[in-house]
Amino acid sequence: MRAALLAEWLKLRSVTSTWRAMGAAALMAVLGVVWTIYVSGLADERGTLQAAAPEQGFLPLLQMSLTVLGVLAITSEYATGMIRASLTVVPRRGTLLLAKAVVVGLATLTAGHVILLVTYSASRLIADNHRLGFNETSLTDDVPMLLAAGISVTALALVGLGLGVATRSTAGAITSVVALLFILPGVVGYLPAPWNTRAASLLLPNLVPQLVGDRLSSRLGDGLLPPWAALLALLAYPATALGAGFILLKRRDV
Amino acid sequence: MSVLASEWRKVRSVRSSYLIVGISIGTILLGLALASMAAGMYDNAPMEQRPSARIADLEEVLVIVPQLCMGVLGTLVITSEYTTGLIRTSLTIVPRRWPVLAAKSAVVGTMSLVIAPLAVFGTYFVSRWVLGDRFSGAYLTSFADRLPFLLVTSLTVAVFALLGLGLGALLRSAAGAITVLVGLIYVIPMIVGNIPEPWSERLGSIMIGALPREITGDIITTSVYGSLLSPPAAAAVLVAYAVLPLLAAVWLIRRRDA
Amino acid sequence: MIELQHLTKRYDDTLAVDDLSFNVEPGHVTGFLGPNGAGKSTTLRLILGLDAPTSGQALINGRRYASLSKPMFEVGALLDAGAVHGGRSAYNHLLCLATTNGIGATRVADVLEQVGLRDVARKRVAGFSLGMKQRLGIAAALLGDPGVLLFDEPVNGLDPDGVRWIRDLMRSLAAEGRTVLLSSHLMSEMALTAERIVVLGRGRLVAHSTVAELTARYPSLEDAYMALTASSVQFGAAR
Repeated sequence: MRAALLAEWLKLRSVTSTWRAMGAAALMAVLGVVWTIYVSGLADERGTLQAAAPEQGFLPLLQMSLTVLGVLAITSEYATGMIRASLTVVPRRGTLLLAKAVVVGLATLTAGHVILLVTYSASRLIADNHRLGFNETSLTDDVPMLLAAGISVTALALVGLGLGVATRSTAGAITSVVALLFILPGVVGYLPAPWNTRAASLLLPNLVPQLVGDRLSSRLGDGLLPPWAALLALLAYPATALGAGFILLKRRDV
Repeated sequence: MSVLASEWRKVRSVRSSYLIVGISIGTILLGLALASMAAGMYDNAPMEQRPSARIADLEEVLVIVPQLCMGVLGTLVITSEYTTGLIRTSLTIVPRRWPVLAAKSAVVGTMSLVIAPLAVFGTYFVSRWVLGDRFSGAYLTSFADRLPFLLVTSLTVAVFALLGLGLGALLRSAAGAITVLVGLIYVIPMIVGNIPEPWSERLGSIMIGALPREITGDIITTSVYGSLLSPPAAAAVLVAYAVLPLLAAVWLIRRRDA
Repeated sequence: MIELQHLTKRYDDTLAVDDLSFNVEPGHVTGFLGPNGAGKSTTLRLILGLDAPTSGQALINGRRYASLSKPMFEVGALLDAGAVHGGRSAYNHLLCLATTNGIGATRVADVLEQVGLRDVARKRVAGFSLGMKQRLGIAAALLGDPGVLLFDEPVNGLDPDGVRWIRDLMRSLAAEGRTVLLSSHLMSEMALTAERIVVLGRGRLVAHSTVAELTARYPSLEDAYMALTASSVQFGAAR
């Protein structure tokens, strides 16, 4: 297993697409800085503002970029045919998938949290004494939110990996994740109340606020899940996707 | 002309095209399911809640499905050639190169213009049929009044297909192109919505999602988008979304090594 | 030693491999022949556990491939030289594979030297010619210094130097007591390289013989091949 992990780690860092995805994810910090400078300037003119926190406003960018990383970790092997060589040298398919999941999981967990923390600290430093709304809470209050956001990034990356195995197609897997991340919440949000809130409570992007006891949005109000249930649901998504991927990988000819 | 026939054959001969077209048209079924759910909820709701119950126009909500699907199709018709190496053959047999992109645009554009009205009008009629006069007659607008909006909404699907094609040709990678496409449709509008005024309204007015209502002059105050553009200006922006990436791709594909 | 026992693979309505039984013995190069679509590549995938047989089994040194914990030390395989991520360097590609079986960087450098890719080891594979990719694929097969080697069309795209190099490599690997199964369409090359021949036609075993026997009965190996496969040149399975 150790050998398989080392190999997957080398695979991940030896292709440029990984670093492009990381770069796109790191754009979050850059945008966060630009954003904070902009709203600080506005605050100079207008006094107090209620601006969105950059680590929340730009979270979809981070989620999307690192999900693509998770998808490509497997679909690039299918696209190039490398998967045959990979399964020839590691015939136990579960080992291969587990090694990929661990490597993608750790890489996105680290990168996600680092980027979130950098975005958070940079924006708070730049915001300084301006009253921007988002910078009026203390770090200890915000840590749960940062952790929840970081976990959601990894959960999505692993969902991407699982769907990548299942679909064997970069386009198919990315589109499926997009459906999960953007389309489904959009559609569910248009159901008549209160069913929109009930259904939305179970959707992946809405688990982050529920994990820390925040409301879903001004329109949807409070979610239905207590934090522990939100965490379970957040873990259930990657578990389901990876489980489905594993069963298919195990049964299918390569 | 022969290039066109060849591109049409390429699209028809891969399984993923059928899946994508199937899901696009399957939007109608999704609309049927959502409308039935909403109708059931309405009927089970206590009388006093009914007058305040609201539902959005399903064809407007669900058009994102064919938009994304045809955008992905537009991307795949070019990036799959880069993945498989077929692009070298394609560009060898059409040395001027731009006709390849033109033919691909014509194929995915035409396909979208056929499929999108099916999905959009299909969802429109199915949801009206299922919901009837529920939700305080939220759907009272006559078909004639709604027609321009439905047509422009269908047109946006073709814009997505061409945008996907343009991005695919520029980036030569399905992952890259689809990610940028998704960024343009979902991520940037979410960010723009959070920007303080006046920029939220200004940038919100040029988001693709804002354009159909600006073109038809059908402005609603609850929209997350802006509504600053006049109908001609909004139409020009919509065309620009489709054409500019393609022009850039034509310029690049003639200069770049295949 | 490779043993095939009633190996059968059915895709939907086509029998790609039909009740195939033969052994590939160590100590010489066994040529694996058959028209396109005869089931050669499917057989190789079945041996490597990539595809699951519909019935029957393939054993390597008495064991199923999927049960090997460090397969690179027992079996080396080149299936498709093009199946490499173009963005990786040759060195990184080999190291990715080697690491899974605990093989170190020194051995990677050694095989790169052995196949003549040392100078381009740090170059992206996307820029490689087909011949260079074949050498890279052969390097991957040699990483674990295995006793059983499978090569699917390794000669394609090689220059005359490369063709001679591969012929000598195959023969020396066999002379060291290894089992070498080599598929190719180049009859003249096969006649120079292989001692034993297995011929497939439409998924079935058509002949299992020595080159000497075949060239005694027919004017050349090519004539023998043509005569043996005359009834089965229709495409069988597409894979």
